[in-house]
Amino acid sequence: MNSVPADQTAPTESRLASLIKVSGLHYRYASGPPVLIDIDLEVSAGEIVALLGPNGAGKSTLLRVVLNELTPESGVITGPLLSMKSGRVVMGYAGEENAHFNSLTGIQNAHFFARAAGVEKHEVSERVSGLMNLVGLSDEADKVVSSYSFGAKRKLLLLEALVHQPKLLLLDEPTVGLDPISRDALADILKKCSQEGSAIVMASHDLNFLEQLADRILVIDEGRVVSSGSQSELLSSLGTATRFQVSVDATSVELPQYFGEDVELVDDTGPLVFETTRGQAALPDIWAALISARVKILEVEVREPGLAELFRRVTGQELPG
Amino acid sequence: MKFLIAVMEFRIALARPRLVVLNVMVPVVLVLAISLGGAPGFHAAAVYTVLFTLFGTFGSSIPLVRDAESGLFGRIIRAGIPPSHFLIERAVGGSAIDALQLLPALTIATFGSISLNEWTRAVLVLWSSVWIANLLGNLVAAVARSLAETALFSAVTALLLLHLSGVFRTPLPQSSWAAVEALSPFQTLHETLLAGLMGTTTELSLGLVVWVLILPVLTVLLARPVTRSLRTASDG
Repeated sequence: MNSVPADQTAPTESRLASLIKVSGLHYRYASGPPVLIDIDLEVSAGEIVALLGPNGAGKSTLLRVVLNELTPESGVITGPLLSMKSGRVVMGYAGEENAHFNSLTGIQNAHFFARAAGVEKHEVSERVSGLMNLVGLSDEADKVVSSYSFGAKRKLLLLEALVHQPKLLLLDEPTVGLDPISRDALADILKKCSQEGSAIVMASHDLNFLEQLADRILVIDEGRVVSSGSQSELLSSLGTATRFQVSVDATSVELPQYFGEDVELVDDTGPLVFETTRGQAALPDIWAALISARVKILEVEVREPGLAELFRRVTGQELPG
Repeated sequence: MKFLIAVMEFRIALARPRLVVLNVMVPVVLVLAISLGGAPGFHAAAVYTVLFTLFGTFGSSIPLVRDAESGLFGRIIRAGIPPSHFLIERAVGGSAIDALQLLPALTIATFGSISLNEWTRAVLVLWSSVWIANLLGNLVAAVARSLAETALFSAVTALLLLHLSGVFRTPLPQSSWAAVEALSPFQTLHETLLAGLMGTTTELSLGLVVWVLILPVLTVLLARPVTRSLRTASDG
């Protein structure tokens, strides 16, 4: 399988140009509650923006408003992308619908979507076969799509979103149904797209994937952006502390006061929550202190600083999956 | 215009040979049964007109709603095919395929009673009629919210237009109904089949020409609302 070197991350000049800007966006489905509330989002060329949030937070709706499929209640979407004159469709989108021409082959489907998006006839074959190789579909290119697995259909969907080299690529849960090898291949492809100046906005629950790729993250909860910034900014806002959540049976037992050097008990209202800058090295001290106080330990959960912990603290919810 | 959709319609038809065989054989079997059963020409012509018209409307509306529900329709529009191109090209491809599939049935129905010239004219009338039926199917699909509704609305719309075209009653010359019939889309198909079966002659009615020309214009004008409505279907 061909792959793109992962270390080519040097910013280019194209990264600086703003492509699209969303300001004060509100959206609601007919007579329903608000789905998006006062959303601001600016995406520049070459930037990878991740939308992180629980199910129903409004991530997919935001992508469809940017696509101009849904008309916002208020707010504006501006930017050079919207007025760009091009023979090709300027946006690419891979959403949740895994729908294809099922009675046709993968390559026939890919050719159709390439031509529909404006790729010239003489370019299509080379472009499609190159992407078929990259996403690992070459062996199945001539099989009818109805015989494809769910994952293969997802790969074809991503290929069709990428085939016309869009200026802005919108991806909704792009790693769903992909095996680890295909997932890594997709990450490489997206990095390459970004280096070539395409902007990418993706909604995903796959934190490793987001950590690997995202330049900027918007945490969305109940239709609002509750936190945003670069990964390093967001993670530094968490501090460097590791948290341990310890479920105990502490009935009629008094908890000790000291749990080891630089270990603080920050919450004892439910499961005990300890915070330390010593990382997992502090765990034996906490363990020993609890055992010596005859506290029965039921379960220990380690929470290293990361997107999962950020999400948990910002929204008060666990990420699905 | 790259005619991508019309080409895809043909590719899909060729990729499903079993369906092509069924689409050819079912009308043939029905026409054979009626022809060999000695049905009076007037009744036979009415049945054939209904069969050919419903073939066009159902064959257009049901796959469109199915594609809208699966999300494929939305993907095609999003990929860059303008809605009006999509609907018109779909009817171009669909009507050509329908006409080819109905050709054996038409030939059997009129076998031995018309000349080659009249047969050629009958083929063109059939094609024009299924073109109208396909465009109607597109529009009917936009107001349906499920496959069952699509089938119901397609049947009701086609049967109403067939009734207005005078398929289910004895024509009354000089009456106001005769004027309505002359402006209705399927009168020419009915009269052509009737002439073929009974050995009479018929004129090309104004209705067919008007509908063949007006319906695509209407489709282009309504393409955006139709697209919005079909997308709503896929959102549930």
